Amino acid sequence: MAKYILKRILFFIPTIFVISILTFVLMSSAPGDPAELMLNKASSGDSGQASDKLAGDKAYREVRKKLGLDLPMFYFSIGSISEPDTLYKIGKVDHRKNLGRLIDMYGNWPQIEAYYHALSEMELAFLDLPKDSATTAPLITLRSAVTDLFTNYKESVIQSKFGDIKDRLTMYPQLASAMPQYEKVVSAYYEVTVNPTTWKNYVPTVHMNFSHNQYHRWLFGDAPWFGKSDDPTLTGGFIRGDFGISYFAKRPVGSIVWDSIGYTMTISLVSILITYLISIPLGVFSAINKDTLVDQGLTTGLFILYSLPSFWIATMMIIFLGGGDYLDLFPPTGVADVEDDDPFFYRFGAQAYHLALPLICWTYGSFAYLSRQMRGGMLSVLRQDFIRTARSKGLSNNSVIWKHAFRNSLFPVITIFSSVFPAMIGGSIILEFLFSIPGMGKVSLEAVFRRDYPVVLTVTMFSAILTLVGYLVSDILYAVVDPRITYGKK
Amino acid sequence: MIALNSGTKNNDSMSSKDTLNKQKNQSYWATVGRQFRQKKTAMVSFYITLFLAFVAVTAPFLANEKPIFCKYEGKMYFPVVKQIGVDLGIGQFPKELLNVKWKDLNYDFAVWPLIPYLPLNQDEKNSKSVSPLAKQDVESTYWTHWFGTDELGRDVLSGMIHGTKTAFTVGIVSMFIASVIGIFFGSLAGFFGDTNLKMSRIRMWLNLLFFFFALFYAFGVRSYMLSDSLANGFASFLGQFLLSLVIFGAIIGLANLMAMPLKKIPFLAEQVAFPVDMLISRSMEVLVSIPTFFLILLVLAVIKKPNIYVIMVIIGFTSWTGIARYIRAELLRIRSLEYIEAAKALGYSNWRTMVKHAIPNALAPVLIAIAFGIASAILIESSLSFLGFGSGEDVTWGGLLNAARSAPKAWWLAIFPGFAIFITVTIFNLIGEGLTDAMDPRLRK
Repeated sequence: MAKYILKRILFFIPTIFVISILTFVLMSSAPGDPAELMLNKASSGDSGQASDKLAGDKAYREVRKKLGLDLPMFYFSIGSISEPDTLYKIGKVDHRKNLGRLIDMYGNWPQIEAYYHALSEMELAFLDLPKDSATTAPLITLRSAVTDLFTNYKESVIQSKFGDIKDRLTMYPQLASAMPQYEKVVSAYYEVTVNPTTWKNYVPTVHMNFSHNQYHRWLFGDAPWFGKSDDPTLTGGFIRGDFGISYFAKRPVGSIVWDSIGYTMTISLVSILITYLISIPLGVFSAINKDTLVDQGLTTGLFILYSLPSFWIATMMIIFLGGGDYLDLFPPTGVADVEDDDPFFYRFGAQAYHLALPLICWTYGSFAYLSRQMRGGMLSVLRQDFIRTARSKGLSNNSVIWKHAFRNSLFPVITIFSSVFPAMIGGSIILEFLFSIPGMGKVSLEAVFRRDYPVVLTVTMFSAILTLVGYLVSDILYAVVDPRITYGKK
Repeated sequence: MIALNSGTKNNDSMSSKDTLNKQKNQSYWATVGRQFRQKKTAMVSFYITLFLAFVAVTAPFLANEKPIFCKYEGKMYFPVVKQIGVDLGIGQFPKELLNVKWKDLNYDFAVWPLIPYLPLNQDEKNSKSVSPLAKQDVESTYWTHWFGTDELGRDVLSGMIHGTKTAFTVGIVSMFIASVIGIFFGSLAGFFGDTNLKMSRIRMWLNLLFFFFALFYAFGVRSYMLSDSLANGFASFLGQFLLSLVIFGAIIGLANLMAMPLKKIPFLAEQVAFPVDMLISRSMEVLVSIPTFFLILLVLAVIKKPNIYVIMVIIGFTSWTGIARYIRAELLRIRSLEYIEAAKALGYSNWRTMVKHAIPNALAPVLIAIAFGIASAILIESSLSFLGFGSGEDVTWGGLLNAARSAPKAWWLAIFPGFAIFITVTIFNLIGEGLTDAMDPRLRK
């Protein structure tokens, strides 16, 4: 048995590894620029001098370094030979995406790179143009044109922006000092369009990045394993308990998850307890009285409960019982507003009162499901020969049912136990959202809405690990209930 | 359901028109069909499904602001049919009918739909959630909002009818995707196991190598084309995606062609087993480790503007493991049966035995998984629209129910859509239940 458990745990490692790669790649391909989310501002330098712009760029680069975004994605990357292996070094996500498009269209990176540098120089030159009341309007046009050039790849758009810039530069003599930079951009773009090498897009190649990559940094960290380091940009990595920093709350993900997991755990555990306490006897009772009126009523009722969508019931409960325009029996939120120094029984009572509605919604579905499973399991056991044997031996009805049948009908109930852990996260998303309970489900849903990827990634990893643990626990429970099952060699 | 009704036909081809069998139809499907018909709840659910499917298909004719059929300025029109054509890109409305208020036109005569409202059109006179029981500001009884209106004055009943269409499309499309993927991987894993998919060494190497080339040329190089086409609509994406699949298949085919001459070398021709079961089972384990609903949220987070089709595809791609597991278990059992050995002894290839002889007999439990799968797909989709995912242009029951949260006074917004979700989920669960019982030999009478 111990050997089997060890083997299973060893099997976890590759599975978790694959899940971590999958979710990481998924999150990395998500839209949005994390560094900008952290900086809380729009990308374009919309005001100020070239020096301000340079300072802004520096801050941006520092955030990228802190988040590890200045690294390539993975241990290796597969692409075409037209893509440079240093494209990840381009900071701005939308710029990088646009360069990718240009590469896809023309395939000549040296020329495209020259065009990009010329554009950057022109942007700086525009920032140093003289500002007065006469040039405000054309300067705004110039800057927006540059921003558009950085993010557009269609020739027609680019040419029309060139036209805009040229008009302004010729119309206002005080702006003419930026003319050389503009001409450089135009000629660089011309070079891009006349020498396309699109065939390069069709030749695959592999770049090796070794351990110098974002995924490795996220999972294993880049801080030294032994001894302390003072560099705040280094991270411990997921396996050392450093889950990164939330883009939105700007505090460690670990503390966010820690704060929220208590609510979810409490509700889940209470709900599981109620479920098992009621549904197992109910299922057995229903199976013993098979085909009686009581059984038929119970079966139908349980089936209806099982099919009732919990978010509908929760919505209706909040509307009709939660003190809106109808009855005011229960509070519509799941968390009581109590002070720490209130007496214990007051706090407990208030909290229980607030949790009544959420708990009902949490429990009824799994309760109905479990009772039905228990009834089915009991019925299929009661049909078997050894039950008939037990009865013909003259054993009492109670003894047959509880000593012989009950234990053998526990399998379906155990299967469900494996889903208990993941349900702590997955099953509670909507209900926590509806009852405003700040648990794991609500945190992860909000993280998805706000694209707060470090939180999403951490929650995913946790739920995957918990699911695997759940499977292991249920497999072990099987062996405990059924001595015929031996894992490993006989 | 089609399989149930055509059960007898299927059987005839299998048992070569045996007269005995014709008298007393005892084929597997016929028995299952008979057992299923004996279950009253399952049959009632089946009829309700048919009714809802009818509502779904005829939704534009049941609830529409245009007349079904009309005579206007001496000409005959079928505006609803025309609108379907226009939406598909076939044809255009004549000039005199472009941007008109259909309600106010002076018809010679017109046949109107049962409900004269479209789900997204606003009735300004009855905005701010008018109750079905309250006095409504309408011209006649015909124009009544039977199920009330929402905050913007949109008719709830019309939304319910068009929501049926969405719910059924979601259930069917996502389960179609899930079945295709699930049956493919499940039967590969179950029929071949770890030891039975044998090929020459060179073929395996070339296939693995060319697999990456195929991915590169079919999806890597074409990634921009694919993502651009998604913006142009679902149909054009499907076209581009199919093209990618063709390229993919061609490159894999090339690998197998190249392997043929190279097989002359003895070392390269040696047969080796490909551990297909291990690979597929492990991948399924990875997928199952992430709770489905959370996995779907995760994928939705990455997509810029998810609409109902994206949601369908995601549900399909994340819920195939159940079907795969069912069919894998069935094929594990079937592959050791005597008739499969007979097929092998007759010299049929593995693939032919699997596709023509093994899989058809393993499809029964898949039907159960599909019935339950439709129920859960509809539930997942309505949860997602309830949470506010999706584009808002798609009329869904979940979206209607969501409106109830911001208008707590409007009980009709909470009760009707929620009840529709409940009923649909229940009937598909009951059908799944009925099929389970009908196929369980222990319960056979």
